[in-house]
Amino acid sequence: MFLDPDLLMSALRALTPILLAALGGALCERAGVFNIGLEGMMLMGCFTSVATSWFTGSPWLGVLAAALAAAAYSLILAVGAVTLRGDAVVLGIAMNLLAVGLTSFLLRTVFGVQGTFDDPSLAGLPLIGGFTPLAYLSWAAVAVAALLLSRHVWGLRLRGVGEAPDAAATLGVRPASYQYGVILLSGVLCGLAGAQLALGNVTLFTENMTAGRGWIAVVAVMLGRAAPLGVLLAALLFGLAEAAGFRLQGLGLPQQATDAAPYVVTLGALFLTTARRRRRPRTRSSGARS
Amino acid sequence: MHRRNRRSLQVAALAAGTALLATACNAAAKQDDTTAATGGSGKSFTLVTPDAVGQNEFLKLAVSGIESAAKRHDGTRKVYESTDTASQQQNVQAAVDAAPDVIVLVGFEFADIVAQQAQKHPKQQFLIVDACTTKTYDNVSCAVFREHEGVYLAGAEAGLLSKSGKVGAVDVLDTPQFRRYSDPFAAGARKVAAKTETSTRFVGGQSPFDDSARAKEQANTLLSKGYDQIMAAAAAGNYGVFEAAEAKGAYAYGVDVNQCTSAPGTVVDNVVKRTDVAVEKGIESVLAGTTGTTVSYGLKEGGISLTGLEDGVDSSKCVIADHKDVLAKVEALRDQIVSGELTVDDPAAS
Repeated sequence: MFLDPDLLMSALRALTPILLAALGGALCERAGVFNIGLEGMMLMGCFTSVATSWFTGSPWLGVLAAALAAAAYSLILAVGAVTLRGDAVVLGIAMNLLAVGLTSFLLRTVFGVQGTFDDPSLAGLPLIGGFTPLAYLSWAAVAVAALLLSRHVWGLRLRGVGEAPDAAATLGVRPASYQYGVILLSGVLCGLAGAQLALGNVTLFTENMTAGRGWIAVVAVMLGRAAPLGVLLAALLFGLAEAAGFRLQGLGLPQQATDAAPYVVTLGALFLTTARRRRRPRTRSSGARS
Repeated sequence: MHRRNRRSLQVAALAAGTALLATACNAAAKQDDTTAATGGSGKSFTLVTPDAVGQNEFLKLAVSGIESAAKRHDGTRKVYESTDTASQQQNVQAAVDAAPDVIVLVGFEFADIVAQQAQKHPKQQFLIVDACTTKTYDNVSCAVFREHEGVYLAGAEAGLLSKSGKVGAVDVLDTPQFRRYSDPFAAGARKVAAKTETSTRFVGGQSPFDDSARAKEQANTLLSKGYDQIMAAAAAGNYGVFEAAEAKGAYAYGVDVNQCTSAPGTVVDNVVKRTDVAVEKGIESVLAGTTGTTVSYGLKEGGISLTGLEDGVDSSKCVIADHKDVLAKVEALRDQIVSGELTVDDPAAS
C-alpha cells in the first residue's frame, strides 16, 4: 500500500525543521528583509544543540543554546543589512558558507573528530506521540505567527515596515528595530530547526547536515507568499514529496527520478500559483524592499 | 551612506585577508608538526592523508601500513596530514620536493593532484590507495579494493540472521561504483537463503554523503516493510541508518571500519578495508619494479575483510560475536571466494 500512516509520519518528520526555518524567513520577508541565511543559522543550531546536550547531558539546554547561538549568528545579517545597509542576499550567502566552515572547525576543535560526531550516550529530544515537542511547537508557531501578522498591532506595523518603510517611519514606527526584531526571531526559529534536526530527526552532528533544508525553507517562503499558513502548506508539500519519493524508489523508480520529486512539485506549484495570481489584480506590492 | 559602506567593505576585506593569511600559516605549521621521521638508512616513504588522522581508523591503518613498510626496509617514513584541499596540494608538493622512494596517497581527493605531479616528475614513484588517476602514468601505481566481496559475505550473514526473510540496503547514490555496496549484499543473502526478498534505497538529494536524517528516513521505509537486516553504505548517513534500526530492534551492517561501537547491539558486522595491507603490499610491488599498474585487493589478498573474520571479534562490540555458527558458514564462503570456486559479480565491472 502506498498511502499509509508511515508515509504521513515520515512527511511530518521532514516537515518540522523546514517549517521552523521557513516561518523565520517569512517574518523577515514581511519586514522587507530577504533572508537566505536560513541554512547557515540552522547549521549553527545543529552544532550548538549537539555540543550543549553532550556537555550538559540535557537536550533541553541544547535546544535553548541552539536558539541563542543562532540568534547571535543572525546578528551578522541584522547589522549588515539593517544598520550598514549591505546586500541581504550577499550577507545570507556568506552566512551559509561561514556556518559550514565554522561548524566543521568547531567539530574538530571541540570534539576532535572529523565528519560526524555520534555517540550512543548523546541525549536526544523525547518523543511524544511519535514527534518531538519542537514539532508541536512549530505547529503552534504557525498559528501564533498568523494571528500576530493579521490581528495584532505589532504585525500590522511589521507589514507596514516591509511594504512602505518611509510611510511607517513618518508614523513614528522605527523600521530598523522591527527588522532587527524579526531577524533575531528568525535566528531563534532556525536555531530550533537545527536542534530539531540534530536532536530530533537524528541524534548526532554531521558536517553540512542541513543538506539544503534551509534553501528549501527559502523556497517555501516564496511559494507560501510569506504567509504563515501558506508557508506551512508549501513546507508540507515538500515533506510529502520527499517521503513519497522514498516510496517510489521501493516501487522501482530510479533514485535520480525520485530525487527530482520535490523540485518537480515546486515547479508545478509555482506555475499554478502564479497562473492564478496573474488573473487577479495585485493587492500588495511585493517589491517593497529597502 | 556610500562612504560608510565603502569603509565597512574595506574593513571586511582586511578581515578576510587576515583570516586567509592566518589559515595559510596554520596549514604550513600543521605540516611541520606532523612530519614524523624515523631514523634508518634504507628506503624512504611518504604518506599524504586527505584529512587529519586523529581517530580516523581508515587513515590510522594507512599509517601503520607505511610504518611496517619502513620497518621492513629499515627505511624512513614521513606522514603529512592534510586538513583541506589547499593543504592536500601543499603536502603533495612538499612530498615531491623531498623526493622519497615512494609517495603514498590515500583517497580519491589525490587523483587529479597526482596526475599533474606525475607528468612533471616522471622519476618520482606514486602509489594511490582506494582511487586511481583517469589516465595511466608509468610512475603512478594504484591499489583499489574489491569491496563487493566483503559486502557479499555481509549479505550472507544477513540472510542467515534475518527472521523476516527480507534484507535491504541504504546506499549513497545509484551508480555502478556505489552499487558495489548493495547488489552483492542481496546476492550474498540469496546465496544462503534463496527466498530472501531484497531491496535497496538510495539516499540521493542535495548532499547524499552527509544527510543522515534523509538516510534514516530511507532506512525507515525499509523497516516499515518488515526488512530486519540493513546494509548501511550511506557514508555519514550510516549513523542515521543505525538509529533507525536500533529504534525498531532491527540490525545493520557498517562499512570501512568497525562501526559497531556507534550502536552496540544493532550493528552486526562491518565490511572493512585493510588500508594497511594495500599500502604495504603496494609499496612492495612498486619497489619490485611493477609500476604504472592498478592492483585490486579483495578477500584473497587480505585487503577486504569483515570485522567478524578478524582478530578481536569478541571485543569489537559487534552482534556477530554471539553468532559463531553464522561465522563458520561465512568463513566457508570466504574460502570459496578466495580459492576462486565462487565469484562475486562486480556491479562496477563494465
